[in-house]
Amino acid sequence: MNHQNEKWDVQLRKGSLELVILAALKSRKLYGLELLKLLHNFETMQITEGTLYPLLDRLKRDGQITANWIQEGENRPRKYYRLTEQGDQKLSALEARWRQSVSDIEYLLDHPGPKPVNPQGD
Amino acid sequence: MSHRDSIHQYITSLEKYLSRLNKSDSDEVIKEIESHIYDALELQEQNNESVDVQVILEGFGEPRTLAAHYVDHILQGTPPPKGFNAIQTVKKGVTQGLYYSTGFAGFSFALFLLAIAILKIFLSDDIGVWLAEHGNSVIITFHEHPHIGSKEILGHWIIPVTLILSAALSYLTYRLLQVLKHRL
Repeated sequence: MNHQNEKWDVQLRKGSLELVILAALKSRKLYGLELLKLLHNFETMQITEGTLYPLLDRLKRDGQITANWIQEGENRPRKYYRLTEQGDQKLSALEARWRQSVSDIEYLLDHPGPKPVNPQGD
Repeated sequence: MSHRDSIHQYITSLEKYLSRLNKSDSDEVIKEIESHIYDALELQEQNNESVDVQVILEGFGEPRTLAAHYVDHILQGTPPPKGFNAIQTVKKGVTQGLYYSTGFAGFSFALFLLAIAILKIFLSDDIGVWLAEHGNSVIITFHEHPHIGSKEILGHWIIPVTLILSAALSYLTYRLLQVLKHRL
């Protein structure tokens, strides 16, 4: 990946990481390492442990996610995160804004000049 | 360094930087990060990758930076620690009066000690420190006839002792005045 792409990803992630985490936890419970591995499957979501854990802690304090230590079988206990109702609502709101932004950007990309831009009348 | 040593060193350092948080908050952070590190090491082993604890620790970043991320949002809006405001008031309250009276008190006492040292040279019998009879009080006197039965202590050693005390007091007063001057 070149430097410019990397810079763009960092900028975009700053604004969208909260949405990414909430979306990843939609209807499933995950512990930190699992969540990190899940995000690493995607090219633009290569975040570090040092970014993920403080963010999870903040979202928990904001009441958007909850955390529980669960021990399964022989494994050592793990801290599982899931969405709260408030987190679920926040996700829906952010999702709507995200889709709106994407469609706005796509419209602009699909309608280059010199014709005037008229998104409402299209 | 073994895996355990590296992890222990990292966790100890992180604990130090998290010390501004409640013990329970700090313990929770440490417990989760420790759990992640050991899980990640196990995963490396299971996948037959070379086990590298440094790579995992690098993912968390410097303990100080990581701790700052937690401390920043956890302590956001928390009032300053008790006593903080009082310190500010004292700093603000330095007036010219305080500045000059501190200087006067410090330097005049230093001069007094210096005078004792000089006078001891010329009037060696009349000035000194005496231990009163039965040893229940100490008399520092400038008197022709010290209390009968009292015993002089220090003797001529009072000269270097008072000289050193005088020099130390002058220096401390000077330093204190320098600090106060900035607050004037």
